Amino acid sequence: MVASDALSPPKAVEVTLADRWRYVRYLFIAFLALWLLFTLFPLYFMAITAFKSAAETNLTIPTFWPREWFPSNFAGVFAEPTNFDALIDSFIIASCNTMLALVLGSLAGYAFARFPRQAGGENLAFWILSNRMFPPVAILVPMFFLFDNTPWGTDSHLSLIILYLVFNLPLATWLMMVFFREAPRELEEAAYLDGWTPFKAFIKVTLPLVLPGMISVAMLCWIFAWNEYLFANLFVGTAVRTYTIVIPTFTHGSQTLWNLQMAFSLIAMIPPVTLFILLRRYMVRGLSLGVVKG
Amino acid sequence: MARLVVEGLCKGWDFPVIDDLSFTVEEGEFFVVVGPSGIGKTTLLRLIAGLETPDRGRIDAGAREITKVPPYRRRVAMTFESYALYSHLSVYENIASPLRARKVDRATRDRQVHDVAQLLRIDHLLSRKPGEISGGQKQRTALGRTLVADPDIFLLDEPISHLDAKIRHELRSQFHTLEDLRRVATVYVTHDYAEALSLGDRIGVMGNGGKLVQIGQPRDLFERPATLTVAEHLGQPTINVIAAELAEDEGNLIVRAREGNLRFKVADRHKQVLKDLKTRELTLGLRPQHVRPLENGGAATSIAANVDIFEPLGSMGIMIADTGGVRITALTHPEKHYGSGEQVTLAVEEDRLHYFDAETGRNLIEAG
Repeated sequence: MVASDALSPPKAVEVTLADRWRYVRYLFIAFLALWLLFTLFPLYFMAITAFKSAAETNLTIPTFWPREWFPSNFAGVFAEPTNFDALIDSFIIASCNTMLALVLGSLAGYAFARFPRQAGGENLAFWILSNRMFPPVAILVPMFFLFDNTPWGTDSHLSLIILYLVFNLPLATWLMMVFFREAPRELEEAAYLDGWTPFKAFIKVTLPLVLPGMISVAMLCWIFAWNEYLFANLFVGTAVRTYTIVIPTFTHGSQTLWNLQMAFSLIAMIPPVTLFILLRRYMVRGLSLGVVKG
Repeated sequence: MARLVVEGLCKGWDFPVIDDLSFTVEEGEFFVVVGPSGIGKTTLLRLIAGLETPDRGRIDAGAREITKVPPYRRRVAMTFESYALYSHLSVYENIASPLRARKVDRATRDRQVHDVAQLLRIDHLLSRKPGEISGGQKQRTALGRTLVADPDIFLLDEPISHLDAKIRHELRSQFHTLEDLRRVATVYVTHDYAEALSLGDRIGVMGNGGKLVQIGQPRDLFERPATLTVAEHLGQPTINVIAAELAEDEGNLIVRAREGNLRFKVADRHKQVLKDLKTRELTLGLRPQHVRPLENGGAATSIAANVDIFEPLGSMGIMIADTGGVRITALTHPEKHYGSGEQVTLAVEEDRLHYFDAETGRNLIEAG
């Protein structure tokens, strides 16, 4: 018995099982590959279109590799020098807005996390978040008239910097509140006993603890403000132009200059991608701040 | 340098946690508050530290009332049970934090941090982050941070409870020798009664309802426990607790166990109080060190018993013996060994018996 058992191990069953798992894995890999293709294709198509000639972008059957490369498209984008200024304007607006959202959002989030009763409680915190839930277009026109009556008007950096707070401040407040709740209160108390005033304890102890989270919030706010189109299109356009409202202007007669549009878009992607790569380490940590303690 | 006076302190949320608590800790005194977990010991420290506001009562540090002074102006240092080290700062910066808060100049700060680190033997770790050091080292870092603060009052919240036995012992002996701790009023909170007996100049035992059941020197608490709870918690092995009742035997007042046939003569010094008692039922407390196995019988009150369990611990032995219904723990000579089931005769020092009220657990002799 022993000998025959040794000669015929249950090999057949094992192989079938392993095979089955292998098929599942292949299927899974195939699915991931398809998904990757689906998400990366627009990016790819944008990149190659940026190098095509105007004629090639208008073919009935699109080409998936440029017949001829036109790096000059990138220079062509800046034939109109104000296009570069638009990038600068976008940068100013996005950065200032992010900073404001962070400062105000951190303070508000801290208040909600540490003094919920004095700060108005869970309901007020939720109401602030709910500001993100209505369709932005609903306030488009009222906001325009509102800002039109301010000394700085609608067509200015300041108008968009403040306006974008409508969207970014609730996000920053809510996320910072969650991060502050995660930060152990005892560390602040230890700081009080060391002799630090509450504000100093906040700066020296609590803020460093939530810094990774703060950087993630900064990225989210910045990217929203950088890419915003709807409000920018109505509000600014003469004194100030964001890059998003410049993109649709690449036309020649009735023809859309897809190649220039894509080249400009590609350039506009550089700042957020750079920021993301630089801060990626913090961002991943920040997004997992609520998941894993420590 | 100041004495700490706590007077009529009350604090509660849905229920009272600290109820009308009063005590004084002299300058240089090491006062240990001991009690089971969740009884409000930490709340008491947080009230003294100013992290909570009392509902009633007052706290004085020296001549100054600090009841409503914010924590950062109290000159009170506290170690937290969780250590509460700043994880983003090095050990050096953690210890230096109170000095930075007081804007001590760089040279002094450097010297003080190094001095205290050397004292606590963590001077080689100063550049590390709290995440990179062991539990005992974290505890010492937290202790260092409170030591450099040079406060009037030290509050230590279970500082060594979570450490392993060896480091715990080492740190315990360090508490005995830390000069800085001996110059200020220290309140030390623990649930470990051995720690309390070892460290406390005086001990306050906290009981249910946020009250201090008894305050006294370790010896007092051990010899004259105010309640059965205090007696049960102080002392290793735990005191024998026997449900008993008073009776007469040939004109003598005796006390006998309600189960089995265990009986003791009431010592002369206890008679007066017990005679006047309305109830005859009571709870008897008998320390294991006051029971010993007799070599060759013959004592006045000896009890026949069978050994149930015997633990030879090296420096002593612990015997749990069945006296016919009631099991009694006794301390034995380190060199004697007993086998399970062996018949022994136990002698009891009857004048060392403790008598407690059967219902309230109050000590009938000491309180009366």
